[in-house]
Amino acid sequence: MTRNKRGTRRVIGRIGFWFLVLLIAVYLLFPFYWAFNSSLKTEGELQKTPATFFPGSPTLRNYRAVFSDATFLRGLLNSTIVASATVLLSLVSGAFAGFALGKLRFRMRTPTLYAILAMTMFPQVSVLAGLYTVIINLQLSPIFSMILSYMIFTLPFTVWVLTSFFRDLPIELLQSAQVDGATPFQTFYMVLLPLTAPALVTTGLLAFISAWNEYLFALTFTTIEPKARTVPVAIALFSGVFSRQIPFGEIMAASVVVTIPLIVLVLIFQRRIIAGLTAGAVKG
Amino acid sequence: MSNNGGGPSELAKQEARLARLLLLPSIIILLVVAVYPLGDTFFASFTNRQFAGGETTDQTFVGLSNYRQLLGMTIKELKPVRVTLENEIVYERAIDVLPREPHLYRQVTQFTLFGRRFVLGAREPDFILAVKDTMIYTVASVILETILGLGIAMVVNSKFRGRGLMRAAMLVPWAIPTVVSARLWGWMLRPTRVGLFNTLFSAIGIGGGNISFLTNKSLQLPVLIAVDVWKTTPFMALMLLAGLQMISQDLYEAADVDGAGKVRQFLSITLPLLRPSLAVALVFRTLDALRAFDVFNVLLSRQRLSMASFTYEQLIQFQTAGLSSASGVLIFLLIFAFAVLYVQLLGVET
Repeated sequence: MTRNKRGTRRVIGRIGFWFLVLLIAVYLLFPFYWAFNSSLKTEGELQKTPATFFPGSPTLRNYRAVFSDATFLRGLLNSTIVASATVLLSLVSGAFAGFALGKLRFRMRTPTLYAILAMTMFPQVSVLAGLYTVIINLQLSPIFSMILSYMIFTLPFTVWVLTSFFRDLPIELLQSAQVDGATPFQTFYMVLLPLTAPALVTTGLLAFISAWNEYLFALTFTTIEPKARTVPVAIALFSGVFSRQIPFGEIMAASVVVTIPLIVLVLIFQRRIIAGLTAGAVKG
Repeated sequence: MSNNGGGPSELAKQEARLARLLLLPSIIILLVVAVYPLGDTFFASFTNRQFAGGETTDQTFVGLSNYRQLLGMTIKELKPVRVTLENEIVYERAIDVLPREPHLYRQVTQFTLFGRRFVLGAREPDFILAVKDTMIYTVASVILETILGLGIAMVVNSKFRGRGLMRAAMLVPWAIPTVVSARLWGWMLRPTRVGLFNTLFSAIGIGGGNISFLTNKSLQLPVLIAVDVWKTTPFMALMLLAGLQMISQDLYEAADVDGAGKVRQFLSITLPLLRPSLAVALVFRTLDALRAFDVFNVLLSRQRLSMASFTYEQLIQFQTAGLSSASGVLIFLLIFAFAVLYVQLLGVET
């Protein structure tokens, strides 16, 4: 009888767990489903009341419109270049800085940490004019301007996250590497860096998404060169930000199109977020 | 590492040298992209700089007057004038009581204390209201998304089929560009049954299919908070998931052997070890929430301002670059205070 009771409890636990998973999935994904649903409707159907949960006569019209928009397609390429370069630059410099701030002892450590964070504490609009001056003076192309200016928000983020992860790595690792005759740099490169893989992937993904989605800087720096426009700017422009008539179906189709590459990216990289890396290393 | 004799040891010096070298790339980037724009904003906040058509005009130093303009507040008592037939007390008008010279104060709100009526006046009521709204928005959404994010992180941290897919799905709200997601929500929250929420609510008998989520004053902030929580919970969840991944499984196994229950394990293993990740996630979420701009701008279209959209309005609409910069600096200071608070409270700095 006891065994039976425990079995029942386990089954209820499983059901409860799956219910929870389902609940989370619906909460997070439903608005995206709604975008998808709306993207398959015609403008006429979008205005019908009450709104329907499935498109009456699904049409790919909106997707055809999106894919025939040259600015949007170029935007996909530009966004990929800008976001990848931003992530690469901030991960490399962020990992160096994170190791220094998290594991090495030197004066001015705390002030440095806060100085880096301070980069990102002004609202974007406040630094826009100053940043524009810098870019004009350095005569940077729009793509480079975006990569460099996105450092304002991706670098502090990567530095802070990686610092906290490096700090958490057990000191024994450093000491045993030193005993084995490794220089601090070898310790960093061969021992610590692989261990922070989950943190690197996480920060990389989050920074990529922030750069991919940035709007205000991109809008400002590409006004003189429309060819360099990134996806959010392209979407905002073909949706006619200031006009009354908003092609809603097209915006939704575009948002589905720009979100899918990111989902694929997460699917590829999430395997890298593996449990128990540190545990194994310390034991060994 | 022991320190033999006076002065730093050779090893310590070597360590400091390496630290400087490793920090070099970040410092260079910081110098190039941040020092001038930040310094310029800070400087402009003490001037009466105007911003016209991308050009800044002549400016003079005005000391703290921008800050006085933004933060100037006063409280005055309103005297009862008469009593209506319904036994309601009519007070004198706030506009007659609030000072006009040398600076005009306008009403922010009225309140009653010990049976007496007061009015809170400010030189820039929009800013004071923006600070209040932004603070409510920040505190509420950060608390909610931390709780939800932790719950989701723990679910996707446990082993089950489809976990990888779930982790990818979990990031969708964060992945949709804010410019687009704000519009999507605007669409779903339409005040007719064209919108999802009015369709849903009228189907279960709430409202007549015409709830104005975005124009009803008392619904605006809760709706914005709900939208922000949906959008940024993934960020929190992924940050905390990475933190959970760094916790050694051995600890839980040991706790199982010792017979500690799941709740006990959560409180004495998970939470303490998650503290550093939590602190960093909180710092960046709070920072973003205090600078919130897109959601306020797209969903409420100037009916109600956040601190950042106030800053934007002052610059773009009124061209008062000096005042706008001062507002930017105040946001900066507020964020700094929060960052220090989190780091101290969660005891990350060692």
